[in-house]
Amino acid sequence: MPILNVQDLRMYYSTLKGDVKAVDGVDLEVEKGEAIGLVGESGCGKTTFALSILRLLPYNGHFVSGKILFNGDDMLTVDDKTFNKEYRWKRLSYVFQGAMNAMNPVFRVGDQIAEAMLLHEDVEKEEAMDRVRGLFSLVGIDPDRVTNYPHEFSGGMKQRAMIAMALACNPEFIIADEPTTALDVIVQAQTLQVINDLRAKLGLTMMLITHDLSVVAQTCTTCAIMYAGRIVEYADIDTVFSEPKHPYTKALIGAFPSIKEAKRELVSIKGTPPNLLDPPTGCRFNPRCPYAMDICSKEVPKFIGLGGRHYAACHLLTGGDA
Amino acid sequence: MRKMEGQEVELSVVDLQKWFPVRKSFVSTLTSKKTKYVKAVDGVSFDIAKGEIFALAGESGCGKTTTGKTLLRLLEPTGGHIYFQGQDITGIGKREMKDLRRRMQIVYQDPYESLNPRMTVHDIIAEPISIHSLADTTAEVDELIYRSLKDVELVPPEEFIGRFPHELSGGQRQRVAIARTMVMNPEFIVADEPISMLDVSIRAGLLKIMLKSGEAKGVTYLFITHDLAYARHICDRGAIMYLGKIVEMSDMDGLVNNPLHPYTVALMAAVPVPDPQIEKAKAIISGEVPTPIDPPSGCRFHPRCPKATDLCNREEPKLKEHGEGHFVACHHI
Repeated sequence: MPILNVQDLRMYYSTLKGDVKAVDGVDLEVEKGEAIGLVGESGCGKTTFALSILRLLPYNGHFVSGKILFNGDDMLTVDDKTFNKEYRWKRLSYVFQGAMNAMNPVFRVGDQIAEAMLLHEDVEKEEAMDRVRGLFSLVGIDPDRVTNYPHEFSGGMKQRAMIAMALACNPEFIIADEPTTALDVIVQAQTLQVINDLRAKLGLTMMLITHDLSVVAQTCTTCAIMYAGRIVEYADIDTVFSEPKHPYTKALIGAFPSIKEAKRELVSIKGTPPNLLDPPTGCRFNPRCPYAMDICSKEVPKFIGLGGRHYAACHLLTGGDA
Repeated sequence: MRKMEGQEVELSVVDLQKWFPVRKSFVSTLTSKKTKYVKAVDGVSFDIAKGEIFALAGESGCGKTTTGKTLLRLLEPTGGHIYFQGQDITGIGKREMKDLRRRMQIVYQDPYESLNPRMTVHDIIAEPISIHSLADTTAEVDELIYRSLKDVELVPPEEFIGRFPHELSGGQRQRVAIARTMVMNPEFIVADEPISMLDVSIRAGLLKIMLKSGEAKGVTYLFITHDLAYARHICDRGAIMYLGKIVEMSDMDGLVNNPLHPYTVALMAAVPVPDPQIEKAKAIISGEVPTPIDPPSGCRFHPRCPKATDLCNREEPKLKEHGEGHFVACHHI
C-alpha cells in the first residue's frame, strides 16, 4: 500500500472574482521510502497541494472533492483535534518555504523545536532538549547552539534547523517546500547533501516541492510535473529526463540551462502560465503548446500509462483520438 | 586606460572601491571609536569590450550589485576610476553625467518594485523620452513608445499602453522595464539579475528579448547574476567575486570547464545539474560567506580554503594572468 494516495483532489480558493482552481483533479501515489519531486512554475498549485495534505490551507481555501489517503486513512475526514494530535507533525511534517522567516525570532531555536515534541509526545523538557541536540548534530549544526536565537544563525543554518524541526517527532512523511530557493549555490549544495544523507540514514519518505528541475534531478527518485493545477507527467527520475512525453515537460527541460553542457541557445515556452480563475478548457497547456490540435481545447486528456510507472496526460499519446 | 587586444574597450574599471560606513551607536560616537566600513567593493578592476556580454557572478553579499551601481555612479565610488569609452567619468559633474545617463543604463532585478505603480505603461516609457528630449512632438513620442513595446514583444502595443503595472504579469512588467531602457538607445547596460524573479518557462524568452534588441546596435552588457548556468549560456566572459574582490576572470568556457581559484572550483561543483545521470553537485567547502565589515586578512577566502597556507593569511594575492585572458588571484596556482 502506498504511504500517500491522493485521488482526484480538488482544492479551490474563493475570491471575489470567483474560485481560483489551484488544485484541480490531482492523482498521486507515493510509496514508502521514495523521494518524489513535485515540479512546477509559481502559481501552478504545488504549494496548495502540499498544504492541503497537512490541512493548513488559508481560510478561503476549500476542499471540493477527492481523497487524501495516508496509510489508507482519509485525512480529510479525520476531525481537527485528532488530526492535530496524531497526524500533523507527528506523522506528517513540513519544511516551510523561506526558512529565513519561518522561525519565531523571540524564542530560542532549541525551544521551538522541542515544543513540537512536548505537544505530541509524553516527554519531559530535558529529554526533549537532548533529542534536539541529537537532531542538530544529525543536520550538521553544533549541538551547543540549541540555546541560540534565530538571528544568531546564518541562512543555511536556519534552513537546517527547519529540517531538524520537521524531523522532531520522527514523522513517516516529510514535505519540503522549496527548501533551497533562497540559498546561495554553495549553501544550497550543503543543504541538499544534508537531505540526501538523511534519506539514506533514516529511510525518509519525502516530497520535495520546487520550480528547479536541477534540484529534483539531484535528490529525488520519482518526479511529478504539475501545470495549472494538474499533474501532466509522472515517472521515475531518469525517465522524466531521458524520455519526457508531455510537451510541457519537454519544453521545461529545454528551458532549463545546465552548466555542464556547451553554450547553446535557450528555448523558452511562448506565452505565460494561465490565470487559474479562468483556466483554458481541455488541456490547460494547449494555448502554449506547439503541437496543439483541435481536440486539445475541447477535451481534458486522460492520464495514460506508458509502461512501468510512467504516466502522462496528453492527446498526442493517443493519436489525437478521444 | 588599458588596451584589450584587437578590441575596442567600452568600459574599464580600475581599482574601484565602495565602502559604506557602519552606523555607530550614540555611545561609541562619544568614545570616538574609529568608524568601521562595509567594504562592499574593495579594489575591483576589469575591462569590457564593445558589444561584449560580461558576467559578474558571485554569492549574495559579494558586492556584485554594488559594483554595477557604482560604475553607473548611482552610488559614488570611494576610490578608483571608471572609464567609459575612454573618458574618465569618476569625477565629472551632474550636467555632464546627464547625457551619460542616457548612454549607460540599468535594468533592475525586481519588476514589482522598479515601476511606479501610479504611472501607466505609456507614462513610464515617455518619462525618459522627455527627460532626454528624444522626441519633439507628441506623435513622435507615441511612435517611439509603440516601437519600443513592439521590440519587447508586448503586442499589440495599444493593448498595453494604458495599463498600470498591477495589470501586468511579472514577465510583462520586466518587458516594460526593458522597453523603458531601450527607448533611450543606450550603449551600455547593467542587467542586475533581470530574470531571477521570473518563472522558469519565460526566463529564456526575456533574456532573448533583452539581448536581441541590443545585439544589432552593438550594445555592451554587464550581466550581474548568481545563476552560473544562465551566465554560461548567454555571456562571453565573466568574473567571479568573493567579498568585494574579483577572484577569477576569464571567458565563460575557462570559468566553467577550467576553474583555477579554489572558490570558483567549489562554486562550479555546487551548481546542480538538471540531469539525474550526471554526478551530483557537491559542497566542497563548508561554512558561509563571512561579514564584509572585518574581512579576513590576506586572501579573503583563506579561512574556508582547502589549500590555505600561512602565506594566504599574511599576503593578499594579486589578480595574475594564467593562460590567455584567464586571470586568477591565488597564491597556489
